[in-house]
Amino acid sequence: MSESTLQADRLRILVLDDEPIVCKRLKPAFQKAGYEVETFTDSAQALARLHETRFDIVVTDLKMEGADGMQVLSSALEASPRTRVIVITGFATLETAKESFRKGAFDFVAKPFKLGDIVECVKRIEGELREGHGRTDRGVGPA
Amino acid sequence: MFRFLKNVFAFRQPRPLPFAVLFTKFQHILERNNSILGLMADMGDKLGGEYVFDRRYIEQATEQLGDQVFKLISDLSVLAQCRHVELFVAFERIRHLLWQELSGQTAVTGERYVLGLDEVGYDQVDQAGGKMAHVGDLRNRLGLAAPDGFVITTKAFFDFMRQDGLLEMARDGIAAWDGRDEKGLDELAAEMRRRILEAPLPRGLAREVTARADRLLSGRRGPQSLLAVRSSAWHEDGDSSFAGQYATVLDVPRDGIIDAYRAVVASAYSATAWRYRLLRGYREHEVGMAVGCQLMVSGAVSGVLHTYAPQVDEGVMVADAARGACRPVVDGSAPAQTVVMERDEPYRIRSNGDSPLDAALARELAGAAMAIERYYKRPQDIEWTFDAEGVLHILQTRPLRFRPAGESARDDLDAASRDAEVIFAGRGLAAQRGVASGPVRMVRTDADLEDFPSGAILVARHTSPRYSRVMRKARGIITDVGSPTGHMATIAREFRVPALVNAGVATALLRDGEEITLDTTRCAVYRGRIPALDRFELTEEDAFEDSYEYRLMRRLLKHIAPLNLVDPHGENFLPSACRTYHDITRYIHESAVNELISLSERQGAACMSSPRRLQTSIPLGLVLVDAGGGVECPGDTGAVYPEQIVSLPMREFLAGIDSCGMWCTEPVSVDLGSFMSSVTRTFSNSMSSPRAVGRNLAVVLRNYMNVHLRLGYHFNIIDAYLGDTVNDNYIYFRFMGGVTDFIRRSRRAKFVAEVLERFDFRVEIHGDLVVGRVKKLDSARMSRRLRMLGGLVGYARQLDARMHSERDVSRHVRTFIDAMGAVIGGEHDE
Repeated sequence: MSESTLQADRLRILVLDDEPIVCKRLKPAFQKAGYEVETFTDSAQALARLHETRFDIVVTDLKMEGADGMQVLSSALEASPRTRVIVITGFATLETAKESFRKGAFDFVAKPFKLGDIVECVKRIEGELREGHGRTDRGVGPA
Repeated sequence: MFRFLKNVFAFRQPRPLPFAVLFTKFQHILERNNSILGLMADMGDKLGGEYVFDRRYIEQATEQLGDQVFKLISDLSVLAQCRHVELFVAFERIRHLLWQELSGQTAVTGERYVLGLDEVGYDQVDQAGGKMAHVGDLRNRLGLAAPDGFVITTKAFFDFMRQDGLLEMARDGIAAWDGRDEKGLDELAAEMRRRILEAPLPRGLAREVTARADRLLSGRRGPQSLLAVRSSAWHEDGDSSFAGQYATVLDVPRDGIIDAYRAVVASAYSATAWRYRLLRGYREHEVGMAVGCQLMVSGAVSGVLHTYAPQVDEGVMVADAARGACRPVVDGSAPAQTVVMERDEPYRIRSNGDSPLDAALARELAGAAMAIERYYKRPQDIEWTFDAEGVLHILQTRPLRFRPAGESARDDLDAASRDAEVIFAGRGLAAQRGVASGPVRMVRTDADLEDFPSGAILVARHTSPRYSRVMRKARGIITDVGSPTGHMATIAREFRVPALVNAGVATALLRDGEEITLDTTRCAVYRGRIPALDRFELTEEDAFEDSYEYRLMRRLLKHIAPLNLVDPHGENFLPSACRTYHDITRYIHESAVNELISLSERQGAACMSSPRRLQTSIPLGLVLVDAGGGVECPGDTGAVYPEQIVSLPMREFLAGIDSCGMWCTEPVSVDLGSFMSSVTRTFSNSMSSPRAVGRNLAVVLRNYMNVHLRLGYHFNIIDAYLGDTVNDNYIYFRFMGGVTDFIRRSRRAKFVAEVLERFDFRVEIHGDLVVGRVKKLDSARMSRRLRMLGGLVGYARQLDARMHSERDVSRHVRTFIDAMGAVIGGEHDE
């Protein structure tokens, strides 16, 4: 997506969490903040969708049946290196946080979290994208 | 034999542990006690909607809490040398209930066959079914009239259906069905219905139902003694409406109730209902049928109202009305006239056709309908009837399903919030998420609550549980100061009133009477009404409060947070009376203090100094245990005098108590008949007699003291270290309890908190529990603070009985600070 279309369009967000309640809470919060949202509770379906179309932001849980959050993180970046990934998890440890960042996550959020905080995080990403910062500028992209 | 006796002997006289070990246990108990109270408050806080949490969190938090409580009991068992088996029993009982809730087992249906409508609300949806849970909310939460009656629970349903293997027959039958053989399904349905209609009711069920009906019908005759027997299945009037799928039997006489019950249960297995469920993806184990029995209302004018009708026009609601009962309007068998009204007050009538609903009735109906919509945060489909006396009865309400907010709603939202004037945004904490529009109503005194206008937004300097009395009228609440874990926040959540606390600037920026829109999802306040914001909320797919996780959390908290053991001198202050984790915690805290005192009496002489009564001019009832270098006097005397104390923190504290002249000794009369709701009891505390000083305990070392002081109605704990190493210095102060009404207690808590904050304490308030911590100040500053606490303990004693208004709080803070100046030598803030 070129920057001019980004200016005009809403940011597209994919939310993946195997607990429906998380999707149920995040979807309206993101919609209300003016974003397009698609939610998934099954990682295989989410991965398929990621290969089908580009999302600006992926919010993914870490521990899930099937493909876990780390795999989703890698696949999302493979499919589109400009995509920003926020990892959300109820098993937050320093190790998983480090690994997420090493694999290119934009942020790592421990559950439970405040809706306001995650919307804030998405706005930060939006700000950067609209200013045209490429992912490589941040030096966090896969080498 | 000898060995046996030896074992018994060993058990009876365990080798005593060194006092230092036991004292450490005692300190662990205090720490754990605090962390448990904190965890409970956190769980309650999650219900406000600001947090995203999942089932895993619920499980983890519950487990963590259970773990802490278990360890707390273990600590006490060590301290008391294994004398609290009953606490473990109480703990296991509670933990089992929590486990049942978490695993969705029998706790789901409860143990009772019949529930009164006054016991039912959405949290009992699993026992009472969707429809009757709503009816309970209407009556108990919203104060609307709905016909009186009772609910035959899902527990009754399962016992009835299991009795002759009926439930198995249904489950096996549908499992074996190939999904195509329509005739086969019809046959299965017919067989099920036939068998249900013939089946006897379980022992006790029929008896309980008729007894309940007799009570309801007593003194009634003729048409007044007829009942409506209505289906109230799981999921009915919820995610799916099941509208018209299940049976309702009207005009049922007393002797026909049991047959009507069977008929309603059988309707769960009609081929149509079965097909509906299969189509909507429900599984067979999700079928549970509660049955409501309500008095018939003979309707003069009745009908159906939709609170939102975008197909007619934005901003309107539509009611279809006809003379007589509601049923013909619902099933379309009688012609009805349509009334179109505006959704905003004063609910202007746009068109009336030839409706039998006159303007006054229409407005009353509209007001009730909007109250229901606001509560459920969804447009509603409401069945209603006015009786011959003109009293409005709500028969049923269910969410009106709309497509999820589409492009247009979001475009409207963007445009509306772009154009809107922001009064302030990003300030404060959402205690309850939601959107509300209305005029500002500043609340400064109790008088402002007297005539609080319906539909206004309450704006105040501080949060207060006094606002509970206007919760049904207020659309929203904004305060400058306050916490989302406070009592008011709990009550706002209970009534689902959007609440923004700690916004700092609300009373400064908002004017009485001005129209605003409060959006706590963005912590923002806009000028004027912004219907688009409200509408977006209404078309969100689900209200978070109704989701499974929130219901589960509320049910779990019922076994965790309420405090039933309030009076340590009461007869039921027993381990066996502990019904919640909070009860256990409270019991252990009280026991630990007693245990430490008697321990030091028993073995103190051997290991350390024996406990001695501290001789003070003021009756503190303080028993002092010197754990090392805290006292300078011969070890065998029964008394110790203040000048013999060398414990640094204790000396400062006593100096504060002694010299400030703040010891109010005159008795203060207390009004016991004051309001105390179940909510506000959560953190309430000891209710001992005002003059009972009892045994208070202080353990001292040269640089350390730990004091438990129950004075009059309240309970102070001070734990302090005071020495030359700045990094080691700390004071922990905890203040609780009181016997007056909750409002005055919370004023006193506010007073204590404000004083502590002036002295740089980090303060947390949970209801009337105040915890203050300060650390790492040099010894001179720490000393002044300890002296101040001595003064505060004296001053605050019985202060709650003197707190007549909010203004008294700041007045007392000023008086105290001024008086303290003399004691601690000039300005407190160096």
